[in-house]
Amino acid sequence: MPNQVNLPGIDCGLCGSRTCAEFAQRLATDPELIKRCIPLSTDSTPPPKASVPVQAPAACEAACAGCAPAPRQKKTPEWHDSLGREFDFILEHFPEDPGPREIILPHNPMLTREMDVKRGDVLIGRPLGMSCGCPITHCGVVSDVDPRTGVITWCVTGPLGPREKGFKDIGYYIAEAYEGMIPRARCDIKIGMRYFFQPRMCMLQWRHSGLVNYVNRTPVGMQVRLEGLWIG
Amino acid sequence: MTVRPLVYLDNSATTRLDPRVAEAMRPHLEDSYGNPSSLHAMGREARAAVEEARASVAGLVNARPREIVFTGSGTEANNLALLGAVGASGAVTPHMVASAFEHPSVLEPCARLRALGADVTLLPVGGDGIVEPGELARAMRPETVLVSIMTANNVVGTLQPIAELARVARSRGALFHTDAVQAAGRVPIEVSRDDVDLLSLSAHKLHGPKGVGALFVRTGVRIAPQVHGGGQEQGLRSATENVAGIAGFGRAAEIAAAARGEEAARLVNLRDRLLEAICGSVPGAYLIGHPHRRLPGHLCIGISGLEPEAMKLLLALDEQGFAVSTGSACSSSHASEPSHVLMAMGFDPVRARGSLRITLGRFNTDEEALAFADALRRVAATLRPITTRKIPSERTEPCRTR
Repeated sequence: MPNQVNLPGIDCGLCGSRTCAEFAQRLATDPELIKRCIPLSTDSTPPPKASVPVQAPAACEAACAGCAPAPRQKKTPEWHDSLGREFDFILEHFPEDPGPREIILPHNPMLTREMDVKRGDVLIGRPLGMSCGCPITHCGVVSDVDPRTGVITWCVTGPLGPREKGFKDIGYYIAEAYEGMIPRARCDIKIGMRYFFQPRMCMLQWRHSGLVNYVNRTPVGMQVRLEGLWIG
Repeated sequence: MTVRPLVYLDNSATTRLDPRVAEAMRPHLEDSYGNPSSLHAMGREARAAVEEARASVAGLVNARPREIVFTGSGTEANNLALLGAVGASGAVTPHMVASAFEHPSVLEPCARLRALGADVTLLPVGGDGIVEPGELARAMRPETVLVSIMTANNVVGTLQPIAELARVARSRGALFHTDAVQAAGRVPIEVSRDDVDLLSLSAHKLHGPKGVGALFVRTGVRIAPQVHGGGQEQGLRSATENVAGIAGFGRAAEIAAAARGEEAARLVNLRDRLLEAICGSVPGAYLIGHPHRRLPGHLCIGISGLEPEAMKLLLALDEQGFAVSTGSACSSSHASEPSHVLMAMGFDPVRARGSLRITLGRFNTDEEALAFADALRRVAATLRPITTRKIPSERTEPCRTR
């Protein structure tokens, strides 16, 4: 009750009012403002460990710094890929995307301009070579293009789109980065560390490895970006 | 050629010399050049100027004039406080406590003390940039001789619960020091009411000259001098006094004290309008540190996904004529390192490089603040975020101004 609050009377100005008397007038119409009185502040609520996204992933099993322990899901994933190799987490695509988001570069980056690749285009191609060496041709919808470098951001989708809408074939490409969500992990995920992970939509269910170079803890899970990708 | 930015928003790094302060200094730079220790008239005139300034600086923190020791900087004051207090304690294996996000002028003396055999505990800091008194209570030991926690953090601007922290230290028999370099002249400081034993100040943070600082030493508190010589400043800081600088410090303290409440209110409102403008126009912008418990003109901003681009952001803003920081000016020589302040607050190493510090001061106007917000929006849009995903607003710390 603002009327019952004894303001400190030191006219410090930290509340945004020049005097305590002026502040008292503001309080009369907006009692919530009392929290702006710093000398009166008795806020002893333990603060979160980080002021940037702090909520625990919905089903994070890792003891992440800044995450509150989350209840374990009933069905604990088996941390092995289809070849029996261990991995650390499953990579899901963003809920707003039609499929896994990848940042790719055609082996001939000039193709991006020559083929006039633009947002919304449907492409097909195969990730060749060191990164990522998958034997399967991928299809996807372009979400962003950097015509200067040839780098394309796309979301990998099934083959139905190319069949129905037509497509541009970029041939071989390099998968430069993945972005997605980690709904659960078996270890603490730290930026700068390389992990084995399982892309949820990988047709072969092979583990990949990559370097985490972006982490954002969100209310629905941990958003990451992975670069330096390999299969296996 | 002097390149002067159109808009200076880096008032936590240093402040523009107030013309009234320059005026107070002028006689001591020109005609009245006596040594305050000299017995002749010119010396006595210099002594009078020093003592007048001492009273003004004491008034700024509600101390007695005799409790003010002039130094060459805030850094020197911090060094004198820590090395002097622990050195005078007489303890064989003294223990001291500081927060993990102190200024380097506290952390480095801590490292020095550790090398000399002292035990130093660095307290964790909450994600909102506040040191919890309970954490301090848990860190205290029977052999703790000194606690040092800054009044306001220089990077994130958060105000610490100094009275509570000092009470914890006093109740356990330890001295309490606070680095008030950022806070003095901006928030009320009452050393006589709070249990503060040692407090550091710097003139150039409150529109005074560079090269002058002060240490408040409560009557009865013993510290060991770190500079030995002619015994000036009650034997605690030998060296001929910087009369012009001290006179400027005194005048700066008077001006700051006289208008503090009104100026603080103006800066709080300006700060909050700027924050709203930034958060309303720059996608992913978030405030770092407590929304209210912060210095009146201090904003520390992150932009989700653009944290690794903070240095480019700063340079681009500089090209547009806006002077801001990506953290402490003192750390600019090793700017490739993540901020120890943000790391202490729980930020990952990428985010800990990515803060933008915008600090408003006496000479900043509404128009400048809004022009900056517009420039930030334009510049941020030209940078390439580390993530290709648009950051929805709910994924970032909401900007709260009330």
